[in-house]
Amino acid sequence: MTGALRYEWMRIRTIRSSYWMSALAIALTFGITLLMALSISAADLDDEFDSVYQVTTYIVLAGASGPFIPVMAAPFYAVMGVMAVGHEYRYGTNKATLSAIPDRVAVLAAKLVVLVAWVLASIAITLLLGMAITWLLLDNPQFGSHLVRPLLNYTGYCVGFAVAGMGLAALLRNQTGAIVAALTWPLVVEPIIYGVSLAISETTGGGIGKLTNLLPSSAGRRSMFDPYEAIAGFGNGEVWSIGAAVIVFWLGVILVLAAGATSFIKRDA
Amino acid sequence: MALIQARGLSKTFGSKAAVRGLSFDVVPGSVTGFLGPNGAGKSTTMRLMLGLDNGEGVTTYDGVPYRELKQPLRQVGSVLDAKPFHPTRKAVNHLRMLAASNSIPNSRVTDVINLVGLGDVANAKPKTFSLGMGQRLGLATALLGDPGTLILDEPANGLDPQGVHWLRNMLKTLAGQGRSIFVSSHLLSEMALMADSLVVVGRGMLIASGKMSDFISTSNRNAVLIRVENPELMTRELRARNAAVVTEPDGKLAITGMDSDRVGGLAHELGVRVFELSNREATLEEAFLDATGASEEFRASMGFGNQGAAFGGPMMGQQGYGAPGGSGQQGYGAQGGYGQQGQQGGYGQQGGYGQQGQQGGYGGQPGQGYGPPPGYGAPPPPPHDTGTSQDGSRRDGDTA
Repeated sequence: MTGALRYEWMRIRTIRSSYWMSALAIALTFGITLLMALSISAADLDDEFDSVYQVTTYIVLAGASGPFIPVMAAPFYAVMGVMAVGHEYRYGTNKATLSAIPDRVAVLAAKLVVLVAWVLASIAITLLLGMAITWLLLDNPQFGSHLVRPLLNYTGYCVGFAVAGMGLAALLRNQTGAIVAALTWPLVVEPIIYGVSLAISETTGGGIGKLTNLLPSSAGRRSMFDPYEAIAGFGNGEVWSIGAAVIVFWLGVILVLAAGATSFIKRDA
Repeated sequence: MALIQARGLSKTFGSKAAVRGLSFDVVPGSVTGFLGPNGAGKSTTMRLMLGLDNGEGVTTYDGVPYRELKQPLRQVGSVLDAKPFHPTRKAVNHLRMLAASNSIPNSRVTDVINLVGLGDVANAKPKTFSLGMGQRLGLATALLGDPGTLILDEPANGLDPQGVHWLRNMLKTLAGQGRSIFVSSHLLSEMALMADSLVVVGRGMLIASGKMSDFISTSNRNAVLIRVENPELMTRELRARNAAVVTEPDGKLAITGMDSDRVGGLAHELGVRVFELSNREATLEEAFLDATGASEEFRASMGFGNQGAAFGGPMMGQQGYGAPGGSGQQGYGAQGGYGQQGQQGGYGQQGGYGQQGQQGGYGGQPGQGYGPPPGYGAPPPPPHDTGTSQDGSRRDGDTA
C-alpha cells in the first residue's frame, strides 16, 4: 500500500491537469464569493436577526452553494476524480500501473486517498479565501459553530463528487464518457427528474414529491443549507431530514464507487 | 534470474478461445522468442503471465505467481504497449512514478534513461516522441528494477535499424548475464539473430516450444538438393528407398528423408554424374510459415492464383515437438504438412504448385495456383508456398 501511495502521489503531482482543475475550482468559487460579498455588503441588511448574518456568512464562504444553486466547484473535482482512473485507460498506462502494483485494491485505495487529500487541500484554500473575503467585505460576519455542519457537508459534497467521478471512470473505463456522466447527472438529469416529480406531485396532490429525496446530488446540496428549517416545508413538507439527505448523497457516491471498484478489480486490465 | 513456468494458460472472450491450455518454460540465460500469426494469442498470453487478464492457468517466476511478487519491477520487467505513458508527463517523471511504487531510487531512473538513449530528452513530454522513442521509454520502464526477467511484446516495433541492432545486442547481453528474456516479434529475421529458443503459437494453442535450431530442423523445407545427369533414374531409385523427391523448377531434385551423404553415395552406386549436391536449410521464416500456416487468424486476399495452394498446416499434426507437459495436441506435426500423403508425395512434381488432386500439395501445372500466369514472363518462384488460393483462403489440411 505504501508503494501504491507513493506512486499515486507522484502521478497526481506530475500532470498539469491536476493543478489547473484545482485552480479552476478555486478561482471560480473565489469569483462567486467575491461577487456575493460585494452584493451583500452593498445591501441594507436588517441587523436585528443574527441568522441573516449567519446565512450570508455561510453563503459567501461556500461560494453561494446551497439547495437551489449548483456547487460550482464540484464538477471540477468530479473531473479530477475521473482523471485519476480515466487517464489509465485513455493512455494505456493501466497495464504499466498494474505491472508495478499488482494489488488492484491497493491501487484503487491509493488513488482514493490521494484524490481525497488533494480535493480537501483545494477546498481548504477555497474556504480560506472565502473567509478572508467575508472578513474584509461583510459588515457583521458570523463565524461560529453554526457553520460547522453546512461547511462539513459542503466539503463532503465536493469530495463525494470527486469520488463518484473516480468510480464512474473505473466503471465505464472511458474518460470522456465518465466526464459526461459526472456532469450530466447532477446538472441535467436530476433537475429534470426533480422538476417533473414536483409538477406531478402538485397536480396529483400526492406523494410522488418524496421521490426527489432519493436524488443523491440534490440531497447533497440540501444538506449544506443552514438553518435547514428554512426550507423544511419545501416540496409539500415531504423533504427528509438533513441527516437523511447526507445518507442519500453518500449512498449514491458509495454505490458508484463500489460498482467502479468491482469493475476495476475483477475485469481484465 | 527467474525460471518462468507457464502452465495451462487459457483465456476466452465470450465464446471465442483466445488462448487454449498453453504451457511452456522460459529458462534463465536465454532469449526466448514468442512467435505466432496475428490473433494467435501472444499479447493475451503475456497479459495472463503478468496477471493483467483473468483466465485459467498459472505462470510462476521461480515458483511465485506475478501477483504475489514483492516489488515486482525488481524481478520482472515488461513492455506490453508501444506508448504506455501520459503524453504530457515528462519521461523522467514517468519513470520516477513507477520507480516510487517499488522503492527504486531515482539514480536508477537516470541510469536507465541514459541506457536507452533518451538522456537528452529526459525532461521532454512523450507526446513529442516518435514510436521508436516510445519503445525506448517502454524498455527503460522494463529495465527500471534491474529485473532478472524481461517480458517484451513487440519491442522492436518502430525502432530504426540502429535501434533494432541496439535492442538485439542489449537483450543478448542481458540474457548472457543469466536473465530470462521472453520477447515476441513479427520480425522473424531479427528473431533468428536474437533468440535461442522459441515458443510458437497458433490460434491460441502451442505449436512448438524448444530450441530454435530444433524448430527449424523440423521444417519440411529442409532438403538435399542434387543436380544430376539422369534425374529420372535418380528419382526412381530414391523413392525406392523411401525418400521424398520433388523436381525443382530449375531441374534440381529436392530430397527429404535422406541425408546428403547417402544421396551422394547412391548417385555414385548408380553411376550417375553429379553436377551439384548441397543442403538447403530452412530459414526461421520458412519454418514459421510452415508451422503456423493453418493457424492464421486473419488472412489477406492475394487476388491471384487459381486452384489454391494445398499444403496442410502443421496444426493438423499430431507429432509432438518438445512441448513441456505436452498433451499430444501441442504437436509441431508432420502429418498435416505438405507433400506427405499424396500419391506423388511431396510438392512440385510437375512444376507449378497449387493444383488440387492427386498430386495436391505443391504439385500443379504451371500457371495454376500461386505461380505467375502463363505469359507473365517471370520464372516460377521458388517453392515457398503462401497457402493462398485464388480467393485468398487457405485450405487447411490439404496435403500432397
